[in-house]
Amino acid sequence: MEIDVDKLKRDWAGATFDTAEFEARADDLRDFALSCGETAPHYTDPEHPEFRAVPNFTSRYVGRRVLPDNFPRFSSGFGFDAGKCVTVLGPLRVGDRVTAKSRIHDIYTKTGRSGTMLFIVHRMEFSNQRGEPISIVDWRMVQRAGN
Amino acid sequence: MSGRSYAEVEFGEELPAFQPDVSLANVRRFTGAAGMTFPRFHDHEAARKEGLPGAIVPGIMSQGILTALIHRWSPSARVLRVDTVFRSPILVDSKPLAKGVVTDKNDAERTVEVDLTIQNEAGDSPVVGTATVAF
Repeated sequence: MEIDVDKLKRDWAGATFDTAEFEARADDLRDFALSCGETAPHYTDPEHPEFRAVPNFTSRYVGRRVLPDNFPRFSSGFGFDAGKCVTVLGPLRVGDRVTAKSRIHDIYTKTGRSGTMLFIVHRMEFSNQRGEPISIVDWRMVQRAGN
Repeated sequence: MSGRSYAEVEFGEELPAFQPDVSLANVRRFTGAAGMTFPRFHDHEAARKEGLPGAIVPGIMSQGILTALIHRWSPSARVLRVDTVFRSPILVDSKPLAKGVVTDKNDAERTVEVDLTIQNEAGDSPVVGTATVAF
């Protein structure tokens, strides 16, 4: 199946298609850190004066939609999770109200022995209740063209 | 907090490897904190019904393990960016090893680049990544 990546990008990349809000809870921050093997008390001890979320905590959040409504499908389901990149911009602390805005950041293909794979980079930008940026999470979703 | 200073970090330095706890009980603790409800992460039988060899460790838990590796090496280090590639699943109840090595130093920014790997018992690297770290 031929995929017109340039057209897909023109039609779909850049526009915010979902906004969601979350609240950061102390138990979740602590358990996320401890289960990953964190030992630094500013990530594991809610009583620590500098207690905050570990750098990749916001990668746990998903919006109401993974892709924009009517985004074309090239395989069944959303495909598979090929990786995540987290850029940390500020601390996330207990009680923060987190706003996440989702958009398609990039679309590209790679072709190998198993055929053409479509990579969709879903970007979520997180900020707190004061509008201060917390992080950017780029989630690379892969669809196998024709499956 | 304590840890290494930028000047103390050496190019090619290996971070002390550690064996993360990916037991079913601990992965369940993680999925509870992360709000992940997919049974493939915390139920071996449900995962097998999906064609997997058993329950698998969530990708974002692997990413968290790799940032924990950095903080265990230097508790005051600040991870500015972490990028992980999920090549294949890590099985729950296996014995993986988290490893890292300093691959670059940026004197202007006073940051270092760290290559990150989670190795399985077969010696393969199902999760790899890089991080930019400030001190």
